Amino acid sequence: MTDIINLSIKEKVYQDKKTKLSILNDFKLEVHAGEKIAIVGESGVGKSSLLNIIGLLDMDYIGEYALWNTPTGKVRGKEMARWRNEKIGFVLQESALINSLTIEDNIKLPLLYAESTKKKLRLEDYEKVVDEIGIRSILKKKPLECSGGQRSRAVFARGIIMKPEIILSDEPTASLDVENRERIVNLLFHMNKEFNTTIITVTHDLEVANRHDRVIRLERR
Amino acid sequence: MGKSLFRFADALELAVVYAFCFFLNLLFNYVKVWDFNSYILKAFFKNFMDYQTLIVFFFTFIVIVFHYQMLYRKKIEVYCRVLVGDTVLYIAIRYIRDCLMVLTVIYLLFLLIHVHLKFCLTGNIFLVFIFIIYILISASQVRKYENF
Amino acid sequence: MKIFKFFITKIFLRKAILCISMFMLLCLANYTTFIASRSILSTLQGYQEIKCMNQEGIFIANLDPDSNIDMDIIGETGTRIVYDYLNSNHKYAFYTDGFMIAVPNDDDMEISLCYMNEGYYELNQFDISHGNDLFFDFQLDKEEAIPVLIGTGLSKTYPVGSTIIIDEPVLGRSVILKVQGVLKQNSCHSNFYALNSKSYYNFSIFMPVNQEFIENANIDLQLNGLMDLIILDTTKEKTEDLSRFMYDNLGLKFNFFSQEENFDYFNDYYLYSLKIIAITTLILLVVITCISIWNALVSIRLMMKDFTINLLVGLSYSRLRRIFYSYFGILFGVNLLVISSITALNRYECWLRKDATFVTYGLFGLIGMDWLALLVVLFSDIIIGMIVVESMLRKIKKIPISLGVLQ
Repeated sequence: MTDIINLSIKEKVYQDKKTKLSILNDFKLEVHAGEKIAIVGESGVGKSSLLNIIGLLDMDYIGEYALWNTPTGKVRGKEMARWRNEKIGFVLQESALINSLTIEDNIKLPLLYAESTKKKLRLEDYEKVVDEIGIRSILKKKPLECSGGQRSRAVFARGIIMKPEIILSDEPTASLDVENRERIVNLLFHMNKEFNTTIITVTHDLEVANRHDRVIRLERR
Repeated sequence: MGKSLFRFADALELAVVYAFCFFLNLLFNYVKVWDFNSYILKAFFKNFMDYQTLIVFFFTFIVIVFHYQMLYRKKIEVYCRVLVGDTVLYIAIRYIRDCLMVLTVIYLLFLLIHVHLKFCLTGNIFLVFIFIIYILISASQVRKYENF
Repeated sequence: MKIFKFFITKIFLRKAILCISMFMLLCLANYTTFIASRSILSTLQGYQEIKCMNQEGIFIANLDPDSNIDMDIIGETGTRIVYDYLNSNHKYAFYTDGFMIAVPNDDDMEISLCYMNEGYYELNQFDISHGNDLFFDFQLDKEEAIPVLIGTGLSKTYPVGSTIIIDEPVLGRSVILKVQGVLKQNSCHSNFYALNSKSYYNFSIFMPVNQEFIENANIDLQLNGLMDLIILDTTKEKTEDLSRFMYDNLGLKFNFFSQEENFDYFNDYYLYSLKIIAITTLILLVVITCISIWNALVSIRLMMKDFTINLLVGLSYSRLRRIFYSYFGILFGVNLLVISSITALNRYECWLRKDATFVTYGLFGLIGMDWLALLVVLFSDIIIGMIVVESMLRKIKKIPISLGVLQ
C-alpha cells in the first residue's frame, strides 16, 4: 500500500512574550490510503496542532511533510487551497460554522470554491448527505438557532460533501448523544469503506478510538 | 452567498460610515464659503474650521472601528473559508476590492455633490487616501484569523 | 474595585481601538459643547455689560458702514467743533482704547491705554479690588499727576499711590500718572458689535478724560472717541441734529441707536446667532451621541462573550451598570482634563505672546467663564453617558446569557 502522508516533525513551537511551548518533538507519521487512525492523548499535547499541520492549515513547524508524495514545502498556496477543497475534509467542533449563514449555505460552502464539473456532481450528492445525516429540517436555520448536536452534524456534512480522500476530524462526537454519535461514526467508517477515504480522528473517546485501525497516543515529553 | 466576506448589511454600514465622513467634510467646505453676516457665528465656527482636518480625521476613526469589528466578527468565516479551499490572500484581495467598490461609489456620489455646489473637487481626496490606508491595514489583519 | 480593574485591563483595553474611538467621539462632543457654551456665556456676559448702557434716553453712536473716513476733510478743527457742540448740547460717555505704550513692568508686557470720561466711568461701574475710584477734575498741568486705575497685572510693579511716568501718545508729551486704584482681576470690555469678543484690562491703564484732555489730545483720540460715543439723557430728535452736525463738519455719517433699536438689534442679530449656535451644537451632539451608541453597540457585539461569561459566574446587571458608568466616568474625566489643559494652554499662549489685551488670571489658568463652560460640558457628559450606558445594558439584557457565551 502507498503512503499518502509522510510526516516528520522535529518541533512545533508556540511562543509568546513570556512562555515558549514545544510540542510534537521528533514526531513521525506515515499513513496509507484508506487507513483509519485515531489520535489520543491528554489536552495540550498537540493533537489539534497535528491535525492543522496535516490539513495544511499550519506550515509553521520544523520538519518535513509530504502529502501524496509531494513535499508540501514546494506546493503553492493556491494548490494547497485546492487540496483542502477537493481532497481534505475537515470535521471540526460545532463552533466552526458561520453564524450569519444558514446551515444549508454552511454545508454548501466548499462547493463555492470547487471547479464547475465537480460542483455539479457534489450538488447531486448534497441531498443524499443531508438525508443520511438527518439535518433536512434545519437547513434553513442559522447555526445559533440549532442545538449543539445539530451543529456538529452540519459541520460533518460540510466536511464530507466534497467526498475528500482524507477526512480530518477533531472531536467529531464530543457534543453528541449516543444515537447521533453512532450515526456520525458509522458515516465516517462508511466513507472509508465505500470510497477508501483515509480517516484521521482526534478524540478523547477511547471507545471510538479503538474502532480505528491504528491508535496513536501523543504524550508530553 | 458569494465568496465575499461582505453581506448587504455590511456593505450598507460601510457606505453609511464613508458617507458620514464625506458629508462632514462637505459640511465644513460649505460653512467655509457661507456668508455669516454675524461675528459671533463666524467666531464660533472658526473654532471648528481651524481644526477641520483634525476633526474630520477624528471622525474617520469610526471607519477603523467598522473594519475592526467587521473582521473580528468574520474571524470564524475566514477560518471556515480557508478550511474549505479558500486562501487568506484571496480573501484579503476580495475584501480590499469590496471596500474599494463601496468607497468609489460613495466618493463619486459626493464628487457629484461637489460639482453641483461648485466646490473644489479635490476637497475630499485626502479622505480617500486615509480610507485606502485603513482598508490596506485592515486587509493585512485577515491573516490573523487564518487559525482561530 | 478589583472587578472594575479586571474589566478595564482585561476586557475594555484589550480592544483598544474601540476605547480610542469612543474617547475621540466623546472628545469631539465635549469640544463642541465647550465652545458653544463658552460662546453663549461670553455673549450673555457681554450683553449684561452693555445692558447698563442700553437704557431709555441713551443713544449709542455707530459709524454708518457706507461712510469713508477721509482725513483730509476731517482735520483737527472738525473734531474740535464737534466736541464743542457736544459739550454745549449733550451729556456724553466717551471711551476709546488700543493705544499701546511701553511701561516697565514685571511681566514685560506692552500696556494698553484706555481713555474714558466721567460719563462712561459712571455708566460702567468698574469693580476695584483696592484703592480708590477715579476722579476727573484734574488739571492737565505738567506738574500735576493724572490719577489712573491700573489692571491687576501692573499692581505688583505699581502699587496704589505710586507714580508712573509715560510718554503719552495722544498728548504727545511726557506725563506723570498716579495709581489711584487697582481694577478687579480679569475686568474686561466687550466689543459692542461682537459681544463675545473681549479685551481684558489686566495690563491696562484707565486714563481719565475731561474736556481739557480732549481739547489737548491729538486727532486719533478725538476721532476714535466719536466711533463709540454714547449720548446720555437725550432724544431721537437731538441725536438726529447731532448726526447732521457731525456730517457737516466731519463728512462722516453717524447713526445713533436708541434702547429700542439696540434691543431689536439684539433680538435680530445676537439672539439669532445664539439660536444657530445652540441648534448646531444640539445637532452635532445628537449625531455624535448616535455614533457613540453605534460604537458602544459594536463593542458589545465584540465583547458579548466576555460580558456574558462574567454574568454567568455571578456578575449582576446592576454591578455591570456601575462598571460601565465608572468606565465612561473615566473617559469623560480624561476628556475634561484634555479640554481644560488645551484651554489653559491657549490662555497661557497669550502670556507667551505678551498679548496684553488677552492675558487673564485664573485657577489653573482658566477664568470663570471657562469653568462655567466646563460645568455645562460635565452636564452634557452625564446625559450622553446615561444614554450610551443604558443602550449598552439594554443590548446586553436582550441577549440570553447562554447565547452570549456561545458567541
